[in-house]
Amino acid sequence: MAELLLILVSAIFVNNFVLARFLGICPFLGVSKKVETALGMGMAVTFVMTVATVVTWFIQYFILIPFGIEYLQTIAFILVIASLVQLVEMVIQKTSPVLYQSLGIFLPLITTNCAVLGLAVLNIQKDYSFLEGVVFALGAALGFTLAMILFAGLRERVDLCPVPKSFRGTAIALITAGLLSLAFMGFAGLVKG
Amino acid sequence: MLAAILSLGAIGLLAALALGVAAKKFAVEVDPRELAILELLPGANCGACGYPGCAGYAKMVANGDKIAATCRPGGAAVMTKIANIMGFAPISVDPKVAVVMCQGDNSKASDKYKYLGLADCQAAQKIADGPKQCPGGCMGLGPCERTCPFGAIEMTADNLAVISRKKCTGCGKCVAACPRDVIKMTPLDATVHVLCNSHDKGALVRKYCEIGCIACQICKKQAPDAYEIENFLATVVYEHYDQAAAAVEKCPTKCIRDFMISYPEGSSFAEVTVPLRRKDEAA
Amino acid sequence: MAMGRLKTFPGGLHPADNKQWTAAKPIEDCPLPEALVIPLSQHIGAPAELCVAVGDLVKKGQMLGQAKGFVSVPVHASTSGEIVAIEPRLHPSGRLLPSVVIKPDGDDVWLENLPAADPHALSAEQIKDRLRDAGIVGLGGATFPAHVKLSPPEEKPIDCLIINGVECEPYLTADHRLMLEDPEKVLQGVDILRQVLHVNHVYIGIEANKPDAIQLMTEKCAGTDVQVVPLEVKYPQGAEKQLILAITGREVPSGCLPMEVGVVVQNVGTAAAVADAIVNGYPLIERICTVTGSGVSEPKNLRIRIGTPLQHLVDYCGGLSGDPAKLIMGGPMMGMTQLSLEVPATRGTSGLLIFRDGDIDLHEEGPCIRCARCVRACPANLLPTTIAAYSRLDMFEEAEQHHAMDCIECGCCSYSCPSLIPLVQTLRHAKGAILEKRRKM
Repeated sequence: MAELLLILVSAIFVNNFVLARFLGICPFLGVSKKVETALGMGMAVTFVMTVATVVTWFIQYFILIPFGIEYLQTIAFILVIASLVQLVEMVIQKTSPVLYQSLGIFLPLITTNCAVLGLAVLNIQKDYSFLEGVVFALGAALGFTLAMILFAGLRERVDLCPVPKSFRGTAIALITAGLLSLAFMGFAGLVKG
Repeated sequence: MLAAILSLGAIGLLAALALGVAAKKFAVEVDPRELAILELLPGANCGACGYPGCAGYAKMVANGDKIAATCRPGGAAVMTKIANIMGFAPISVDPKVAVVMCQGDNSKASDKYKYLGLADCQAAQKIADGPKQCPGGCMGLGPCERTCPFGAIEMTADNLAVISRKKCTGCGKCVAACPRDVIKMTPLDATVHVLCNSHDKGALVRKYCEIGCIACQICKKQAPDAYEIENFLATVVYEHYDQAAAAVEKCPTKCIRDFMISYPEGSSFAEVTVPLRRKDEAA
Repeated sequence: MAMGRLKTFPGGLHPADNKQWTAAKPIEDCPLPEALVIPLSQHIGAPAELCVAVGDLVKKGQMLGQAKGFVSVPVHASTSGEIVAIEPRLHPSGRLLPSVVIKPDGDDVWLENLPAADPHALSAEQIKDRLRDAGIVGLGGATFPAHVKLSPPEEKPIDCLIINGVECEPYLTADHRLMLEDPEKVLQGVDILRQVLHVNHVYIGIEANKPDAIQLMTEKCAGTDVQVVPLEVKYPQGAEKQLILAITGREVPSGCLPMEVGVVVQNVGTAAAVADAIVNGYPLIERICTVTGSGVSEPKNLRIRIGTPLQHLVDYCGGLSGDPAKLIMGGPMMGMTQLSLEVPATRGTSGLLIFRDGDIDLHEEGPCIRCARCVRACPANLLPTTIAAYSRLDMFEEAEQHHAMDCIECGCCSYSCPSLIPLVQTLRHAKGAILEKRRKM
């Protein structure tokens, strides 16, 4: 139990996928202008990450390893992730057209999002059991969502300030992200690995 | 080898099946014409058409049996293409541009009080009708510049708003932002304008502004069809815009300007010697 | 004086009092000027509708314009004389608005058959009608028609009347002197107001920087159940909602009026005017005004006739001292800056402040440094810095969500801002835009 809790805390805070591992920067910067969109994106990513972990875990241990074709890991994982994202896209388009419009191009970009593939691969690398893998995925997704929401809140505030012309837009966003990353470094050392 | 092909193939097939089913279950009706129209629109979401953004306009056009409003920033080129997609008769659009009818900046017009406050003309207007002595002149605090979605307005160093005829698409947002109605929509072809918005008598105008219209009637004498004087202010009759240039030289206060020759003093927009039309407009 | 801590409200500021210039000076009657300029719009609500013509000879107290609609009051002649003009004249708002110009005949004769009466013989409705006809408006500066304030809808029962003797604005001492010199009239007015509202609880709130007034009013109220409540000296203690919170502990909910918590607040000056209107039948044609500031030679408290040009008041106070750089009608926190001394004093003119060049800060505004002094100072518990930021970006929906409409425009935020950001103006801008949008919908 304590192990699982440690994995969760580590994935959310100590080794936050966006702020410590620097994966998934694309949607992090692209969808974090408003807190509502950030939340919507976070939920989509949570779903994709969790289901992707489950499916890829099974594929790794029941197909790839038994048949000795571990070298197909990357392509198999991408295949699964791409299908899942397509599914999520269709569901969101049907159930919440507004969210679909506001996420725009970033929804299909979850496919090539290094955070999702990174999660799947890290799971295998760390030799996690099925349960540990799922908890790790949940933690990673929650951490991703947390980072996005925090950043969206920060960006909304920064937008109210008279930012110097040369810093407006992406420049100040990256600086803010860097500062947020620095803040999360405060968690470093809490959990080993 | 075989295992690899089979396993990957199996995963792919399963995924395809699942997606196929999902595609049917979660199908959303999208009119391809709506998407095509959306592609053509400028994408500025300026709201000049009266619909919620370009997406709203595209929806209206695709759903309706006639086009209820024109897209001003898109202009004639875009409207023609849209009409083609929908199979309607071509729609004519008179290209218009906004012009600030004032040249009374800080160096030329006087103030009635020193204004220290929010840099917004609507806010300043609420305080004893604005810091300028002229009741109709441009106060130069910039809400028009901030609201222009195309970046066509600049504020000169002496606090005067000037609009670029190249960048202006005629969407009209600046007209709504100005509390004194100094900005007027004019036909793109008309390049001569009387840049004054004060209806005060000439003697009074002279007291507070060097470059205001004093309704001396000289312009009307030079080009009787092109000018009309109403309530102590001359304006160009745009139906006869081509005759207005004759009076520019004769105006004693130099409040009449031909934009084909130059922009108001202090403006960074370039002096031009060719007609100032947008490149996509047919001659 | 009072044992223990005085009652107060959260937030607020302590600007320098500056009342020592005039606090000890008895009220003097300001003589009539050569011409009185009486605007038809001196109150909240529809301007009065003209009912006289050029050339008419009018008596003191005669109606010049009738009330238009419910939220409106008539306007009266402040002295007897001839109407020499009816034209747009400079008004405290900075605009030219329709005004009646009267040349006094020197006799100062009241209109005949003024409706004097014994208040106890009148019903509440009759009293309210007479108050409207007498043009009684809130003399604290807001000029809201009294008869409207005294007519809350039935769903909002009133159980408490608070008389505002706080006068929290720096420099002003008009209400203070009124309480010292004519407490009986004030209490007579309080009785009449109480009669109209049928309330059990009556309080008179006075700030602790007026110990003589507190003592005198307490003495005069001995034996009655009118309670004099000394309050901590803090700006804006005299603002309605803050006064109610301090005295009764009730908080007026966001977006609501005092009637929501069963309270009506009236200024001491209004109470005195109510007494005059009912007992003597006098319409509101004069008020007490403090003329002070470094730009005036002899600061004084004056009893002025409505319509007296500000220049005349200054002349009676020894004239200007040095070159005036700023003229304020009202108090320095919420008063209106004037462009010229030709403006006439109206029913809302509680004070005239004149300052010289060295006294005012002309620095340009700087950037917001997030010091949150404005947040600490705001008596309405708002976030002025955030609302102002939204207002500047035209994000009025977000400004409304942050309760911009609850701003009482007291000026605490602008006063406390070290960067001299015009916060009140920016908030007002947001409020104006929000109201505009509501009107359109």
